[in-house]
Amino acid sequence: MIGSGRVLVVMPCWNEARNLGEVVRELRAERGGDDVLVVDDGSTDGTAAVARQLGCRVVELPLHLGYGAAVQAGVKYGLRRRYDAVVTFDGDGQHDPADIAPLLQAVADGADLALGSRFLADGSYRGGLTRRVGRALFSALSRALTGLALTDPTSGLKALGARGQSLFALARFPDRFPDADALVLARRSRLAVAERPAHMRPSLNRASMHGGTRAVAYTFNMLLSLLVAALGREADLRG
Amino acid sequence: MPIRQKIFFFTIAVILLMVILELVRRRRLRVEYSWLWLASGSTIVLLIMRYDLLVWLTDLVGAVIPTSTLFFFCILYLALLSLNYSVRLSALTRQVKELTQEVALLRADHEEGA
Repeated sequence: MIGSGRVLVVMPCWNEARNLGEVVRELRAERGGDDVLVVDDGSTDGTAAVARQLGCRVVELPLHLGYGAAVQAGVKYGLRRRYDAVVTFDGDGQHDPADIAPLLQAVADGADLALGSRFLADGSYRGGLTRRVGRALFSALSRALTGLALTDPTSGLKALGARGQSLFALARFPDRFPDADALVLARRSRLAVAERPAHMRPSLNRASMHGGTRAVAYTFNMLLSLLVAALGREADLRG
Repeated sequence: MPIRQKIFFFTIAVILLMVILELVRRRRLRVEYSWLWLASGSTIVLLIMRYDLLVWLTDLVGAVIPTSTLFFFCILYLALLSLNYSVRLSALTRQVKELTQEVALLRADHEEGA
């Protein structure tokens, strides 16, 4: 464990009012000292009000911008308040708060960006067939483009050091599909990337992100996004 | 070019130019876009007056009939126009995102009394 340093846990939420209480309570039980920021991504079910009741910090986006832009808003919040580390944590309960500490340790050990991998964890997590195929594809592409042999480049559980936060706050950061292509950008910007085990659970919110037919569109767009990120110039994150 | 065709296309070109001018006058169309549309309308008028220019262009690019030259450049023009719109839309999307985030962050500052 790292003793010093302020940590901000960013939870992007879109219509998670029903599950938020449980997720936040579990998070607090494990990580009492961290600030919890709920980024309400234009919810219509009163997610922001629930978050305030729970005593979370709240950034309330007046429009629905999508997952990546919501995460980015949270990271910008963290940067302005000079947190030592920012953790991105899904609001639908699929991440385990116990996995945060190893990620923060990796950041303390010098990583700019630490990712939680469900494939490094014992007790294997298996998604549907399409998801597994897609993941294998991204993983191979990520390896080809970045040289990073990551097992789970689409992980939403991340810890960001100062330079990782700067990368996520860039105006041209790929905010629509900020998973694998973020890593391409990270590697090209010479950020140190680490991976630690993470235990994923089924989402509490059935209709959450990657479900059903949207998976195909998501896959296509992400491939495109990856290629674009690979074409882009390196980011200058000094100073 | 038969006189019937000339009158028909000339009428269309004039209506188009009037619509453009009216849109600019009512500030519905920003001035920086208006030149493009004025140029488009003027080109139509020019081609009606000087059909030989189209024939000359057809010769130049090696097309067989002037109609295909016309269609080719129309399609090219429309394609470039939509490309331009895509670029502008991308910029607008980014700007809306940044503004939305900024509004939310400022509201958070305000609520926290920071």
